Amino acid sequence: MLHARDALTRDGVLLIYLPPHGGGPIQEEPAAAGPQQPDDEVEVFLVVDRDGFVTGYNGHVDLGTGIGTALGQIVAEELDVAFEHVRIVLGESDKAPNQGATIASETIQVTAIPLRQAAAQARRHLISLAAERLDVRIDELDVENGVARRRDGGNASVSYAELLRDGHIRLALDPTVPLKATAHYRVVGQRQPRIDIPAKATGQFTYVHDVRLPGMLHGRVVRPPYAGLDAGEFVGNSLVAVDRTSIAHVPGLIAVVVIRDFVGVVAEREEQAVEAAAKLRLEWKTWPGLSDLDRPEQTLRAASSRPRVLLDEGGSAEAIAAAAQPMRRTYVWPYQMHGSIGPSCSVADFRQDGLTVWSGTQNPRMLVTDLARLLDLPEERIAIVRHEAAGCYGRNCADDVGADAALLSRAVGRPVRVQLSREQEHAWEPKGAAQVMDVGGGLDAEGRPVAYDFATRYPSNAAPTLALLLTGTIPAVPNVLQMGDRTAIPPYLYPKRRVVVHDMAPIVRASWLRGVSAMPNSFAHESFVDELATAAGVDPVAYRLRHLDDTRAIDLIKTVAEKAGWVPRTGPQSLPPDGDVLHGRGFAYAVYVHGTFPGTAAAWSAWVADVSVNRTTGDVVLSRVVVGQDSGLMINPAGVEHQIHGNVIQSTSRVLKEQVTFDRTGVTSREWGGYPILTFPEVPAIDVVMVPRPDEPPLGVGESASVPSAAAIANAIFDATGVRFREPPFTPDRILAALNPLPPPAKISSGDFSPVATVPRSQKPWRRWFGLVGAAMAGGLGVAMAMLPGRGMIAPITRPDPSVYAAATLARGRAVAALGNCFGCHLGPDGTALAGGHALATPFGTVYATNITPDPFAGIGAWSYPAFERAMREGLSRDGHHLYPAHPYTAFTRSSDADLQSLYAYLMAQPALAHVPPRTRLHFPFNLRPLLAAWNTLFLRSGTLAPDPSRSEAWNRGRELVEGLGHCSACHSPRNALGAEQGGEAHLAGAVVDGWEAPALTNLSKSPVPWTEAEFYSYLSTGHAPLHGVAAGPMTAVVAELRVVPDSDRRAMATYLASLQTSSLPQPQAESLAGTLLVRTAGISPEATAAGERIYAGACATCHEPNGPALFGARPLLALNTSVHSARPDNLIHVVLDGIATPAHPDLGAMPGFAGSFSDIQVADLLRYIRARFAPAEPAWENLDSNVARIRAGDNHS
Amino acid sequence: MIHLTVNGTSHALDVQPDVPLLYVLRNDLQLNGPKYGCGLGECGACTVLVDGIAARSCVIPLGIMAGRSVTTLEGLGTPEALHPVQQAFIDAQAAQCGYCLNGMIMTVTALLNRNPSPNDTEIRAELRGNLCRCGAHVEILRAAHRAATLVRRDRAA
Repeated sequence: MLHARDALTRDGVLLIYLPPHGGGPIQEEPAAAGPQQPDDEVEVFLVVDRDGFVTGYNGHVDLGTGIGTALGQIVAEELDVAFEHVRIVLGESDKAPNQGATIASETIQVTAIPLRQAAAQARRHLISLAAERLDVRIDELDVENGVARRRDGGNASVSYAELLRDGHIRLALDPTVPLKATAHYRVVGQRQPRIDIPAKATGQFTYVHDVRLPGMLHGRVVRPPYAGLDAGEFVGNSLVAVDRTSIAHVPGLIAVVVIRDFVGVVAEREEQAVEAAAKLRLEWKTWPGLSDLDRPEQTLRAASSRPRVLLDEGGSAEAIAAAAQPMRRTYVWPYQMHGSIGPSCSVADFRQDGLTVWSGTQNPRMLVTDLARLLDLPEERIAIVRHEAAGCYGRNCADDVGADAALLSRAVGRPVRVQLSREQEHAWEPKGAAQVMDVGGGLDAEGRPVAYDFATRYPSNAAPTLALLLTGTIPAVPNVLQMGDRTAIPPYLYPKRRVVVHDMAPIVRASWLRGVSAMPNSFAHESFVDELATAAGVDPVAYRLRHLDDTRAIDLIKTVAEKAGWVPRTGPQSLPPDGDVLHGRGFAYAVYVHGTFPGTAAAWSAWVADVSVNRTTGDVVLSRVVVGQDSGLMINPAGVEHQIHGNVIQSTSRVLKEQVTFDRTGVTSREWGGYPILTFPEVPAIDVVMVPRPDEPPLGVGESASVPSAAAIANAIFDATGVRFREPPFTPDRILAALNPLPPPAKISSGDFSPVATVPRSQKPWRRWFGLVGAAMAGGLGVAMAMLPGRGMIAPITRPDPSVYAAATLARGRAVAALGNCFGCHLGPDGTALAGGHALATPFGTVYATNITPDPFAGIGAWSYPAFERAMREGLSRDGHHLYPAHPYTAFTRSSDADLQSLYAYLMAQPALAHVPPRTRLHFPFNLRPLLAAWNTLFLRSGTLAPDPSRSEAWNRGRELVEGLGHCSACHSPRNALGAEQGGEAHLAGAVVDGWEAPALTNLSKSPVPWTEAEFYSYLSTGHAPLHGVAAGPMTAVVAELRVVPDSDRRAMATYLASLQTSSLPQPQAESLAGTLLVRTAGISPEATAAGERIYAGACATCHEPNGPALFGARPLLALNTSVHSARPDNLIHVVLDGIATPAHPDLGAMPGFAGSFSDIQVADLLRYIRARFAPAEPAWENLDSNVARIRAGDNHS
Repeated sequence: MIHLTVNGTSHALDVQPDVPLLYVLRNDLQLNGPKYGCGLGECGACTVLVDGIAARSCVIPLGIMAGRSVTTLEGLGTPEALHPVQQAFIDAQAAQCGYCLNGMIMTVTALLNRNPSPNDTEIRAELRGNLCRCGAHVEILRAAHRAATLVRRDRAA
């Protein structure tokens, strides 16, 4: 980094600076002999170095628009040096110019001016030195690539570098210096490739996210529950208690930092910080909650506001009252997001001598001020190192996270990197504010406008840096700003104009967002003029031209209309429809006026938008935009064109798709499903028309082309449909609702869709079983049972020497252990195998799995094979006490002797672990184990299965595994009233265990494609049956274990399970049926589930749509998915909330959980959509909202 | 220890198997190409290649990468020796802030590995899950088409 401060003390430089306090008399100081003392208050604009390089300093920062390249062109042009020899340093807080926040498209239009002057001044000085050196007159010299030469072709020449070999020249900026005439431009006005892209395309660029310091730690913050709000008494006052013990076990944890409502954690590694932040238990006060913001108009009207009259020519009310056609219209704008692709990140290093913050801020100087206040440090001890971040288009969380990092670094005395999560960035970024615009006007008898009475309501957007509020450093007092006035004055020659802005306090945290207040205001202006034109029966373009006198606007509008092939029309629906698809064109124009009222005009922009509207689905497709812009002189036309493209695409996204959603707890749009943005297939064709104006001053181009977007699209939709839309986003559900104002055809009543047979919810086996015991105790039966004797103890042995077992026996035993899922239930602490302690929490107490390693005391080392076999076949421990049937001996009893013997050998050969699991102590009367003897009398049928000679060997083996060791029925069979597995038709007919549905393995399966042997085999081998889905929940571990089982055993199980299907299909027919289902469910968008459809599109489609991008891992197709077709939503809810972190097979990839991203209502909306689209033959799930809440709360019991 | 190959170099990593691949690439191997964007596999900023197939490194636990070969943006090429897809993105000036650029380049590379002659619809469908907020889509699509041309030319050569 070329620090401006360094240049102040260096020899061999020419330096242009702004003196303290911006001026005083302009004087060119003579070249000094040596470096002078740095002046603490100067601001350096330009440094020409004796190495031939030039460095320009600008107080603004690059927000991803390529201004560094354009500023470099300006410097190269004025100085006559090669573009490659110019370096631009942006946003440095130390000695570089303080030019305020990078806002309002001002960089080129405003802040580049002194840089250009500095370059011209440097050239003037250098050329005079050259003339002196070469002993010629200045006007005899030409400069090219930093070398001054005699124009007459003589050999004498001298370079800037040579002129600067010694000495230190310092000149105060002279704003009166003559600038180069545009006619002589060689660099400015040329399409210049961006200087930053090669590094960005190769991973060599250092974004703020990529800053790493020696000894750097990782921090995360935990935000309060009032998501996205920054005003109110509760802000900074809501934290009640912090339970530090809740994360004491997290490895690498360094600190928990709590200052009022500011909470952060610091750890050695990033994933440790993530875990600590997720698990830290905090208690917060309740807070009043948010009013309904999904209907912003009512909320904004209800908010108290202060009218500010910008313009009143008088008589508007009377003129409207007297109009031939009075018109009053209201236009509404939603809350929207900046939506940076990279959540904000910052690194801070707090030391005794001061603080350094590496930041992606838009406004380094303001951040310094905020940090000084937050940390009670003098500003001169704070340095900001500005790095590029993800594009922000306004103020996102970049400053917040810098302050967070500073607080955490101060607490631990080491550099700390803080990365906000996607959810935090979405919830807490200051939003682009909602807005309500009322327009009054009308037409006289000749169709001329009579008046324009415009009122706009805009909640303020100060958004103080969050840590200042959370720590209570500043009070969370709402700040009323004057920001709603951008482009509030209509561009047309209306008589009797009146323009009023209603300033009001913020409602949710808000800040400037591209086209701040201008885009909504212009939406109203340009929709209303279209409404006037239609009412007057005049072509909307012609009507605009009639009421404009701005010649550059008129030129632009005509140029764009011509380029688009605009056909004049006097009413909507002039284009022929294609069946259900209606076509329309819309026009809009704006000159973006930004800055404090009356503000500054940036580039002019005009749009012609072509849309098609599907009247059955409500889908709006923007197929083409012709966009024209008059930007004055274009420094880098390639950059201007890129900005126009970007504005068109981003604003189209905002207009068609974007609205922040809220509930009482704040912002609920916390990822890209809840806040979808435009995707590649939706990007329109864009034709750009750039009006050449090389002799006009350059204008800001960062926002202008966004401003006409909403009205152009709304006007096009009106043209297509004849219906006027006055509140973006124009989503399919809104379009449909407006196109079909009548109630939709009578819906089939819910009764018609009630489940054919409501399957009673099976309870967990253990719960049924305990129910039985309780009932038994209550009656005489219980007494009788309790008197049945237990059985005898089997004598202990010395642990068998594992070396006596053959390797083949041990290998088989390993496979048997996998089949029996021994590892799953007998899991030890910290994942140690077979050591026991795995807990099953029950309402009656906790059942703990035992240690089955060969430790003689803690485990089964003293068990002989007969003792082991008795436990497996009869449910008795070696000492004779009854095992609870959580140990599935009713199934294990079917195992072959050979399997049990090899399992015994295998267990005895494992490392002995002395871990003593907690004893299972159930509450009375469930602690009376002898009762089990009675239960066994009723339900235990000991012994192996006799082979069925009519079946194949594989089938018989499969039956033995499924019914025996595999104990599939323990989960997949429903239980009777006494807690035992049901037989007959109910055997393997599906049940619910631990909150998960173990689906039917028989013909009762709800899967839309019948299970085949190939599908079972694939599922048992890989965890993925392509026509049914992937293993999830408890089945992931079961299937993962099966990988060590011989292939023949997996095939045998598949053979047996397939034989249970009475309506099975050959595999090719199953695949063909699947294909039919995929076609049938493609592209259905049920009307009632618009919110769910959006979430699906943003969060799920990439990995689950049949034609989605090819990605590593399985692509489970929901149209075929068993869980989607089940009578119960439970499995799907579990998977959506918790994901599949550990897949059954590594090739499947993993699925993230959305519990931290979706609200209960969002999950319910999503599931409603998935069910309606992918399982159209199944009835809707009922009570989804409460079921999601129940499962999220961990209640698996109802 | 989990063994995997990254950009042609084999690594033995003493990291918990549930740690997302993205954190390992960025923090343990100090690679800057893959970016954190959402942690949910929604935006594509973290895309890498796993055995030549596009993969969302933010949702892939390290454990399932054992024995596999991972390629990041850095592994495609360098400024001095650009991969044709990188060259095409530079030629087309296909970035504004560039934060999503990694995912765009990696996804297009994976697509061209599979289909060297995709049409515009196929390119758009493949990039559907790669979000760009700056609106560089037009330039990115141009870059993808140019990349296909350069890749075919390379293969023919």
